[in-house]
Amino acid sequence: MSIPPESWAGREYAPTAPYEVTLGKIAEFTAALGHPAHDSPPQEAPPTFGAVVANPAWDALFTDRELDLRLDHIVHGDQRFTFQRPLRAGDVVTATLRIDKVRARAGAEIISSAVTVHDAAGEPVLTADATFVHTR
Amino acid sequence: MTAPTAEVGLVLPPLTVRLTRTDLVRYAGASGDFNPIHHSDHAAATLGLPGVVAHGMLTMGVALRVVTEWAGPGAHVLSYGARFTRPVVVPDDGIGAELQVEGSVTSVEGTTVTVAISAVSAGEKVLGAARAVVELAAPA
Repeated sequence: MSIPPESWAGREYAPTAPYEVTLGKIAEFTAALGHPAHDSPPQEAPPTFGAVVANPAWDALFTDRELDLRLDHIVHGDQRFTFQRPLRAGDVVTATLRIDKVRARAGAEIISSAVTVHDAAGEPVLTADATFVHTR
Repeated sequence: MTAPTAEVGLVLPPLTVRLTRTDLVRYAGASGDFNPIHHSDHAAATLGLPGVVAHGMLTMGVALRVVTEWAGPGAHVLSYGARFTRPVVVPDDGIGAELQVEGSVTSVEGTTVTVAISAVSAGEKVLGAARAVVELAAPA
């Protein structure tokens, strides 16, 4: 790797391409969590749908060539969501990731990251804080 | 539907969910998380895991149902966090893994309720310090 892990903190990636939350995707995700079927399709996404909109931001981190990470060596350590409001069908959102802290251990890096999600009006929708453990 | 009421110590209706490899593949497609440790025995073994494991976010998402199904459609989750303490190993044996989820109310401030969530698979706690804060629908 070209950059020592201790200096990764503070790295911020460009906002992800705008992502449109659709009824179909909400229905697909809701079914994947095993939610009981409703009479009418849900307009609001389940809270952990936040991971779907955070995913491209996480990918920006995982594929950062300067960090030399391997996707199949990354484990999700913890996750916390804070919601300003629920995600709804029709929302067009972007996600921006910042590395908050990195602890380097023998053969592993523990990466604390924060993804902020904004709607098309620039209003905050949610924050997804995650810790990832990357083993070498 | 009447909004539920809460008091500290209230135990929410528990939930038992079975997860199979098919459920993992379905969640991978729905979420866009195609980390191979969630479908490939080879990739899981390379990482030293005992087998293919469920996405932490699938476990977390399923566990939150104990709160949202109790709170009902008018409620909103304000925050939700957990540590992934142990992987949920999902064998390709036609049976899969069982996840047992419980929730109990730890604080109530007006209509804002904090729930501690317990998620157990194969006798092990798979989520640590799992807490959700939910805003219940205002009473009619």
